[in-house]
Amino acid sequence: MSLSIFAAALLNPNLPAPVGLTAWNGSDPAQRFRVYRNNVIVSLVDALADTFEVTQELVGEELFRAMARLYAYAHPPQSRLMAFYGDEFPCFIESFSPATALPYLADVALLEYRRVVAYHAADVPGVGAEAVADVLADDVFLPALVVSLHPSISVVASAFAVVSLWAAHQGVLELSAVAPEASETALVLRNGIEVEVLQISAAAGAFICELRAGTNLGAAAAEATGIDADFDLVAILGLLLQKSAITALHPSGSPS
Amino acid sequence: MTTAPGFLPTAAGAPAAHAAYLPARGGLGLKPEHFRTILETLPDLGFFEIHAENYMVDGGPFHHYLTQIRSHYPLSVHGVGLSIGGEGPLDEEHLDRLAVLITRYEPQSFSEHLAWSSHGDIFLNDLLPAPYNTATLQRVCDHIDRVHERLGRRMLLENPATYVEFAASTQAETDFIGEVVKRTGCGLLLDVNNVFVSCTNHGRDAQNYIDAFPLAATAQIHLAGFAKDVDAAGAPLLIDSHGSPIAQTVWDLYRFTLERTGPLPTLIERDNDIPAFAVLHAEAQQAEKLLQTCRIEVAA
Amino acid sequence: MNKTLTAASLAFALGAAMTVASAPVAAADMADKEKCYGVAMKGKNDCKAGAGTTCAGTSKMDHQGNAWSLVPKGTCEKTVSKTSPSGYGQLAEFKEKKA
Repeated sequence: MSLSIFAAALLNPNLPAPVGLTAWNGSDPAQRFRVYRNNVIVSLVDALADTFEVTQELVGEELFRAMARLYAYAHPPQSRLMAFYGDEFPCFIESFSPATALPYLADVALLEYRRVVAYHAADVPGVGAEAVADVLADDVFLPALVVSLHPSISVVASAFAVVSLWAAHQGVLELSAVAPEASETALVLRNGIEVEVLQISAAAGAFICELRAGTNLGAAAAEATGIDADFDLVAILGLLLQKSAITALHPSGSPS
Repeated sequence: MTTAPGFLPTAAGAPAAHAAYLPARGGLGLKPEHFRTILETLPDLGFFEIHAENYMVDGGPFHHYLTQIRSHYPLSVHGVGLSIGGEGPLDEEHLDRLAVLITRYEPQSFSEHLAWSSHGDIFLNDLLPAPYNTATLQRVCDHIDRVHERLGRRMLLENPATYVEFAASTQAETDFIGEVVKRTGCGLLLDVNNVFVSCTNHGRDAQNYIDAFPLAATAQIHLAGFAKDVDAAGAPLLIDSHGSPIAQTVWDLYRFTLERTGPLPTLIERDNDIPAFAVLHAEAQQAEKLLQTCRIEVAA
Repeated sequence: MNKTLTAASLAFALGAAMTVASAPVAAADMADKEKCYGVAMKGKNDCKAGAGTTCAGTSKMDHQGNAWSLVPKGTCEKTVSKTSPSGYGQLAEFKEKKA
């Protein structure tokens, strides 16, 4: 038999078990085949449950596993590295009608996925005080300065209280004090070996996204100030430096 | 044989970490839950084993801790995603990732499964069975030849735990593996729990089964716990769950195996419901007791 | 053009940021409310058959059921909704719609 039939039946519980399977005692091999079918789907759902822990707590295990199961059949892994399984799960959640009562759920899931990506991102050291002093020595180049950020960095800008919702499930604040409708922007990064989730302003989120896209410091700061006149450039640069999240400074404009 | 002669147990520490072979001692699967405990206590243990795919990431805590642990202990890299039994050629990108990992950590052993886990573009995240016939034999041997060529080292092939058999099989699993070992020169990773699980599931005698393997090629042993179920006829169907202590029947079969092979590096696998490190360490020590008994018997 | 774009003001900002970053007290303050870690992650590739993968579990898991008619029953019920005095407005409405 071709393994294609075996594989197809694993991923579609409505298909019959493949023909050509046997059992020593003449028992129905279809029931034995279900062990494989179940191993596959349970392992995929478990992998999603590991990554999307808070998402699961928010909706409860029953709904989460039902949702994860539908996702796993519709989007089986295309990579052999299970660490990153579930990249499309946040989008799937948005389209899953039983979860629409919780409009923030997809963003919380996205935050959780970005934490996994940050956890495994490459190790790159942050710049030291000397590098900063070097670019300050000739400040005429500062507006055109291009800033490289740590590969773990990402921003989740949400119309909902993603950081508070997530933090409440880490025992940091009471869930009963969280109003999900408040807009929040999350900064996810890894400092050393610790993945951190920090709440930043929407303007600071936009600033970081501009820097990531290669926009120079002057233009990125202007963009952020345009969003919010109170944008605090000192605070966000201070935070990025403190978290070793600035990994290179390119005064000439383009990263080498 | 690729194993070191099993004389006195080597103490954990840098010299053993750089030995050419895994010691014939008890080892444990390395779990992130235990990273810190291991580094704080440096337990006396023969080696650690990792699942290769978990460490195919760019950076972060996994590499941070493994690098430190590797400096103290011998390492076995155990792949779960190469799909050696699969149709079509091996994934060269995955082989590249394996080569990078092996260059980085210089493990004493690399092993994979007689199973498939990918089909087309889809990774199924399970170790799936294939019929034992000439077509499968040809592609498994081709795939192992390619692994040997790409990694520049001999791999060990692990016997699977299976729940079904195929009408298309023309060979016993043990003969099939014997033929693969003969043709490719790979070693055998004898999973004694898988032998017990498969023999129970397919109505065979486990001791006869052990005797039918190419035991001279055995370079490592795996032990684990199983879960119990029944098939459609009510016969026992064991599941290779790695979620409980090793059953006494499997310890007995392990002892039976050691009497034939002599002492071998022995891994305790636990991947579900992972207990405190001390619980697993105690199981590894139980294996070491049997290894010690077997050394005395060999010497006598 | 905004003033923050001048070289001098960027220099001031970066210089001040350096001071912020190297001040341990400021770092601790920041950590109190805003920083948050999650639990350590697991390795997701392994060679086990998952827990609950037995045939009995299979029949349960294979039952497609009515996933689309389930309602959230988790911690979401504890959050406060600004738009509803009860705090459970959206969920209650959702339940009614489904019933």
